Amino acid sequence: MTKKRKNPARPRKAGSHQSVRPKSAAVQRAYTLFDYRLEKPSFTLRQIRVGDQVRYQVEGDLSAPVPPIRESKYLDQKQCIEIYRWMLLNRKMEAALENLYKQGKVVGGVYFGLGQEACSCASAYALEPDEWLGPMIRNQGSLLVRGFSPRDIMMQYMAKAGSPTKGRDASSHFGDIQRHNVVAPISTLGDLIPVLSGVALGARLQGRKLAVMTYIGDGGQSTGVTYEGLNFAAVQDLGLVLFVENNLWGYSTPADMQFRVKDLAERAIAYGIPGVIVDGTDACQVYDAAHEACQRARRGEGPTLIEAKMMRMKGHAIHDAAEYVPQPLFEYWRRRDCIARFENFLVTVKHWLSPSENSELIASVDQQLESDRDFAVSSPMPVAESAAGGVYCEDGCHEIKPKYRVPKITTLKGPGPRQTDAAVHLK
Amino acid sequence: MQLTYLEAIRQGLWEEMERDPAVFCIGEDIGVYGGAFKVTDGFIDRFGSERVIDTPIAESAIVGAAFGAALTGMRPVAEFQFMDFIGCAFNQIVNMAAKAHYRWGAPAPLVIRGPSGGNVHGGPFHSQNPEAWFVHAPGLKVVSPASAYDAKGLIKASIRDNNPVIFFEHKYLYRRIKEEVPAEDYIVSLGKARIARAGGDLSIITYAAMVYLALEAAEILAKEGIEVEVVDLRTLAPLDREAIAQTVRKTNKVILLHEDVRTGGIAGEIAAVINEEAFDDLDGPIVRITAQDSPVPFSPPLEEFFLPKLSDLVREARRLKAY
Repeated sequence: MTKKRKNPARPRKAGSHQSVRPKSAAVQRAYTLFDYRLEKPSFTLRQIRVGDQVRYQVEGDLSAPVPPIRESKYLDQKQCIEIYRWMLLNRKMEAALENLYKQGKVVGGVYFGLGQEACSCASAYALEPDEWLGPMIRNQGSLLVRGFSPRDIMMQYMAKAGSPTKGRDASSHFGDIQRHNVVAPISTLGDLIPVLSGVALGARLQGRKLAVMTYIGDGGQSTGVTYEGLNFAAVQDLGLVLFVENNLWGYSTPADMQFRVKDLAERAIAYGIPGVIVDGTDACQVYDAAHEACQRARRGEGPTLIEAKMMRMKGHAIHDAAEYVPQPLFEYWRRRDCIARFENFLVTVKHWLSPSENSELIASVDQQLESDRDFAVSSPMPVAESAAGGVYCEDGCHEIKPKYRVPKITTLKGPGPRQTDAAVHLK
Repeated sequence: MQLTYLEAIRQGLWEEMERDPAVFCIGEDIGVYGGAFKVTDGFIDRFGSERVIDTPIAESAIVGAAFGAALTGMRPVAEFQFMDFIGCAFNQIVNMAAKAHYRWGAPAPLVIRGPSGGNVHGGPFHSQNPEAWFVHAPGLKVVSPASAYDAKGLIKASIRDNNPVIFFEHKYLYRRIKEEVPAEDYIVSLGKARIARAGGDLSIITYAAMVYLALEAAEILAKEGIEVEVVDLRTLAPLDREAIAQTVRKTNKVILLHEDVRTGGIAGEIAAVINEEAFDDLDGPIVRITAQDSPVPFSPPLEEFFLPKLSDLVREARRLKAY
């Protein structure tokens, strides 16, 4: 992270958004990108012609030894084990979904976060319960950490009446503004970025400086709304923590064909915000970067962009065998599996978890998933007629009131509404 | 007090800002400058830059942020400098905000307001009537007032509504319409049409600036003994199906008039509603008078050709009366 700004608390002027940005910020150039990584993989993917076919070829050193887990500055033993459990639950839940799909019980496809569990779970773990998260399709682990259960996600995939959307939408496309503070994603990419910024804005108007977190991929970051949303958060000093999950593939197109910069964290420079790079397969790095960004957000210092580097270890969705991914790349990242490495860290390096405790923990995850799967499978499909209604919020179905507190109205001296006949654009 | 259409919107917005601390304004140049058309002139001085937020030129960010703030129980009012630019935020409006309540039960009480409409020689990007795009998106409400009284009452009702509302202000009317508007608090309910002029011979169903064209035609036709009923829809989504059916039952003949282009315009939908609700009451064909299917041209003679004309309206009314 860039060096801490020195911000002696200045008196707040009533009724004006008092930026915490130091006055000299405009002339300061802080191009430091904090890089948490213990190794910096460097390879490129190119399209090459092999015979009569075009393929992707990877170039670079793929033989580097696997780095250790970087010890967290903030996490204690208990917290590390909790994150490890979330990661296991995330992976095993998706394995269960794959089986359900093969059994014909899933409606539509299944999306996986295989290889990205550390990024989803350790990032969401940095949020407080009353803060907010907007997941992307691969962040099912984040949803678990926010308090949704595997059965919620399973029922979403099986289009059940008891799913959080009552069968109206699929996969991770659900949310809750009462308890879990999760904004449901839509299929198009980057749209959550301004929305989460708006959540932070709404909370700030209610006197709360919150951290709000969302994600974008190496593919999705190309969208215009990504720029609009992050720039807005930067200008308004909103507490957005944006994880750019660089998993090397946007559906079937490699990251090298999505952008020209070396690291997506460099994008932060253009927004005038801190940019951080982490190894997305190292839960401790992910958490530490997320935690620091959340703290910055809670101090009202604005957004942070965190690039997490890793690889999507399956296809875009279950139908996609990812045959376009060069095998050596799979092998390279398989050795860097986020769960195996974290398990080794906890069991062998730190001795925070004995082998038998680890087995018990794994068994408890399996047990939870079995029970959730049985519940989800045996729960009913929605009745057809329940497709009707609910398009509008009418007849007192929701009481709308400020979530944190009613904003204070500052009474300023301004005159009443002006009856101007000033020059306007068109008359 | 006598207020212009623009002042009535300003008054309504001001009163809601004073009444409800959850209401805030967000948009381009709305603060110190007071908005491209000066609707929010003076707001920042009274309500401060926390509640009157000048944004970067980023329509998706404006709507996205408004939606996000609405999720926390705020009631944002987002200004578009011209409704022609609303396409920039289309995804946030129709996919993010409009679908939220149906998909995941999240109410989104936000208002997107701004000037639409032509006859001001604004050219293809400052004159459009994009309301039908949003009528077609379930989950949105679409409002389009014609009078100053309605403009104030409808903006207040829109802000208090628990759904995303697209509020089309007709820029031709901003300073041309001035009428008595109550100083006190009142609302005009969404989804309710009004009879702008009663008559028994035929109905013109319309909204926004075209209400005045219809009233002008009615005046001319009255001198010939043709009594025209002018129905001002006020809200396009939800449509007041009952009011549409009622006027058809009364006059049995109907002209649908709008400034929007013809194909896919709301007139086609209203014709279908009449077919469903009052087919047996029709004594003549449903007549559509609309702008032509083209971008809005810039040069005054071209724009005049593009827009619905009084002469066409009067001629078609006479023809329909004689049918």
